[in-house]
Amino acid sequence: MKAALKSGLAVLGLSAATAWGAPITFNTALPVHEGGWVLREQFVFMKVADDPTPARRDMRVSGLISVLGYGVTRDFALFGMLPWFDKRVDMRMGGQDLTRRESGAGDLTVLGRYTAYQYDAPGRTLRIAPFLGVKAPTGEDDARDRLGRLPPPVQAGSGSWDVLGGAVLTWQTLDFELDSQVSYKANREARGFEAGNVAALDASLQYRLWPRSLGAGVPAFLYGVLEANLVHAARDRVGGADDPNSGGTTLFLTPGLQYVTRKWIVEAGVQLPVIQHLHGAALGTDYVLTAGFRINF
Amino acid sequence: MKQIARITVLAVGLMLGMASAMAAPQTYKLRVDGLSCPFCAYGIEKKLGAVSGVEHVAVDIASGTVTVTMADGAVLDEAVARKAVKDAGFSLRGLQPAAAAPQEAGQAK
Repeated sequence: MKAALKSGLAVLGLSAATAWGAPITFNTALPVHEGGWVLREQFVFMKVADDPTPARRDMRVSGLISVLGYGVTRDFALFGMLPWFDKRVDMRMGGQDLTRRESGAGDLTVLGRYTAYQYDAPGRTLRIAPFLGVKAPTGEDDARDRLGRLPPPVQAGSGSWDVLGGAVLTWQTLDFELDSQVSYKANREARGFEAGNVAALDASLQYRLWPRSLGAGVPAFLYGVLEANLVHAARDRVGGADDPNSGGTTLFLTPGLQYVTRKWIVEAGVQLPVIQHLHGAALGTDYVLTAGFRINF
Repeated sequence: MKQIARITVLAVGLMLGMASAMAAPQTYKLRVDGLSCPFCAYGIEKKLGAVSGVEHVAVDIASGTVTVTMADGAVLDEAVARKAVKDAGFSLRGLQPAAAAPQEAGQAK
């Protein structure tokens, strides 16, 4: 459960921390103009199941991820991301069906992105931007039910201060956009639990499906999107020892659509795990549905 | 007599035409590099629209041009335009005065 959930949320967390540009599941290096704001709201539904153990765990996570970005300068932008989660796990234990559930605001992530390289030509641009952020433990991490403290993956927050960083490359033309991102999230310990660090390599292609030929002015674009996320999560540590049923590597593919206008974008995609190498009895992700919008102001 | 009347009408017409041309707002055509998606175009409209004297901004994404219409008597300084384009996240390749105000979709200040 932990590995798949962490992989899925890591990808979504980084995507949510990036309100600009076009990929659905992660970052781009495109500009937030100086003094400009971008708001992104993303609804996410994730199903994590296929439990090989008799517990037959089945986890569902619904989330609403809000991101606000601000262009401090032409090259430097700040982003704040706050998720709200409803996490539910159903399992069988001692011959009984059990449900454990928690809802609430998650951890706040603040991220800065600096455009270190930019090449502009007519109708195209290349940007490379490193980013660095910190996740603060603002979400509840000690929620309990009648069975006691909920397990860490069901908590809305992690309880730890974590650090994330990476770099994103964007090549955009009038016909298509290509993005690639590498990122790393170092998790720290809280209440005897330390989630494994997460490394991710992401790629996204957005291809203009409509209009086929561009007219005058600023026409809206319909993009067909195909993204890939390779996510490796290290084993969690519980009480100072590695948890053998956590961590692993997952490759997601995400087909999707985006409708892009001057002031807003609507988008939807479904993230499907095509390769999952998870440790022990870690649960695999079935799918992640993502739908949302962005506005410029 | 008829000839004098014709010359007078022509002269008045010419003067009216000249006055109208002199009163026409100055427009500029900016060639902007890096402009390649609708969502990014908003920033350049906003930044150029905030420049003093700018009445109207019209982006044409296919040609990578931005047409800026000024208020009567106002002029667009190239250095100011360059900074506005840069602050929007793009690069100004060139700026040329254009003849007439465009009627394209864009942002009125």
